[in-house]
Amino acid sequence: MIETEIAIVGAGPAGLAAACESAQVGSKVIVFDENNHPGGQLVKQIHKFFGSKEHLAGVRGIDIGKKLYKRALSLGVEVRLGTVVWGYFENQLAVVFNNQVEVVSAKKIIVATGALENTLSFPGWTLPGIMGAGGAQTLMNLYRILPGKKVLMVGAGNVGLIIAYQLLQAGAEVIAVVEAAPKIGGYKVHADKILRNGVPILTGHTVKEALGKERVEKVIIAQVRSDFSIIPETEREIDADTICLAVGLTPLTELLWLMECEMRYESDLGGFIPVRNKNMETSISGIYIAGDVAGIEEASIAMEEGRIAGIAAAESLGHIISDKARMIKNRAEESLLQLRLNPSFAPRMTEKNKTNNGIIKNSQIEILNRNGSIPIIECNECIPCNPCETVCLFGCIQVGTTITNLPLLNLDKCTGCGQCVLACPGLAIFLLDRNYSKDEAAITLPYEFLPLPKKGEKVIALDRNGSKVCEGEVLNVILTKKGDRTALVKIAIPKEHADKVRSIKTTRLDSGKEGEN
Amino acid sequence: MDNSKNEQGKLVCRCEEVTEEEVRQAIKDGAKTLREIKMITRAGMGLCQGRSCSKIISLILAEETGISIDKIEPAGYRPPLRPIAISALAKAKKKIGKKLKYKFSSAYNE
Repeated sequence: MIETEIAIVGAGPAGLAAACESAQVGSKVIVFDENNHPGGQLVKQIHKFFGSKEHLAGVRGIDIGKKLYKRALSLGVEVRLGTVVWGYFENQLAVVFNNQVEVVSAKKIIVATGALENTLSFPGWTLPGIMGAGGAQTLMNLYRILPGKKVLMVGAGNVGLIIAYQLLQAGAEVIAVVEAAPKIGGYKVHADKILRNGVPILTGHTVKEALGKERVEKVIIAQVRSDFSIIPETEREIDADTICLAVGLTPLTELLWLMECEMRYESDLGGFIPVRNKNMETSISGIYIAGDVAGIEEASIAMEEGRIAGIAAAESLGHIISDKARMIKNRAEESLLQLRLNPSFAPRMTEKNKTNNGIIKNSQIEILNRNGSIPIIECNECIPCNPCETVCLFGCIQVGTTITNLPLLNLDKCTGCGQCVLACPGLAIFLLDRNYSKDEAAITLPYEFLPLPKKGEKVIALDRNGSKVCEGEVLNVILTKKGDRTALVKIAIPKEHADKVRSIKTTRLDSGKEGEN
Repeated sequence: MDNSKNEQGKLVCRCEEVTEEEVRQAIKDGAKTLREIKMITRAGMGLCQGRSCSKIISLILAEETGISIDKIEPAGYRPPLRPIAISALAKAKKKIGKKLKYKFSSAYNE
């Protein structure tokens, strides 16, 4: 019998955050996870996260996972990996580790089991080479196996867009992202990252059929109506050896069904989720939830929910007085409110803001023609993110207290240092020097592909849709510790293309492609 | 290109190789829940325990019967939630034998 005060199922962002919070005030905590690595899905998130400094914005997901795990261990949390929770009997959890069954007796249980990927069933979908996008991400980022060379991504939510970009980084060709909905579901900055590297996003399209003998060889895509029915004679056949399905997630609630928690259906949150109160406590006293199992959202939200569940569990054990617990919970709730601001409902800037002295709106930057490099901020969607504001030493970029505001730029004090370019998790800031020489402009791009181009190298300059604009010459490549493997590549291009060029392709990209990280 | 599988019909449960047609037939024969579909066709009874197919089958059930998707509950879960070796269970008999007996009998005597 394993005895503990708090048992947590799942060592992902929610479970580890809950563990830290409750251990910090003196609870005895054991975390169980069936995987052999801590961090849950964070372990393969090699992109920089959005949010604010408090949410560790600008830090790569994989590093957030490592930080959380280290912190949990330093607080005395016991993390049992490779341990499967398989049953719940008379208020006790049954686990199996190394073919040994153990029973866990805990006063409180926090279920942070995460989610599972949805699949899509179409003729041929069981052919080898067709997999969940998350599965493909595990193959390449965890096990360093490229799932395929010519990949079709299905689904243009954040998962599909991010993994499409990571497939490019790993050296695969992403033929297209198809999305049945009439518009891209994920963040615009994520979409822009793949668009400018030549990956088309086909909205209003679906996969009709996959063809192949030993594995997928061809895929038939077609246009769909708004009710997702296929429009006849719009079929197209594409060569592909891999199809990644990024068509949503479902909360992994099986343990909670077993516990007989009250459930309700929320289609926006991925399906059946446990009914819970403000403490993240389910209908069964002493059983808490946090993270994707409580409804599909993202990792920063999972961590805040974990904090609430962790502190609430510790509070009910008497480890923290309720006034103090209230404070911690309030802080987490405020943070959740910020993170949950829906882009489409985010407050827009007022007319007054736009015309403030010295402060200009992004879209107006391009009319400025001053000497030296100035930032071009192509962040035109209200997402919860502000590292550009916090990184600027001169206070030139203003987002403000509402984290979803668009950044405002004050050029008076800008030195063109480029810190904002490196800080932007969406890779949406560029530096532009319109008068680099008599005929040339210079543009500095955030660049995350290997091998890095070299000074003096000729590269192909691409526009926002990944089409070739002109040739460019690499002026310098800067790789700083602060940039955390995002390089700054400065290229010279003919002046007339200054507003078009937003990406580059090295001519030797095919020779030694290797994954970032 | 070998499309014989596709012509046989679209698979919905790949563990147990159950086609969409078989699921629709089960519903036409009277199945009204995921559990009943599972009992008739074995869809969701394989290694993944319906983790891949239950959402797809829910949609088919909703479409065929008009039952609202939020009323279609999973087929039911019981231990073990993950495949575990019988040898591990056998060794655990002393530790949880009584509990298992109680829980299993109550679960299977529905």
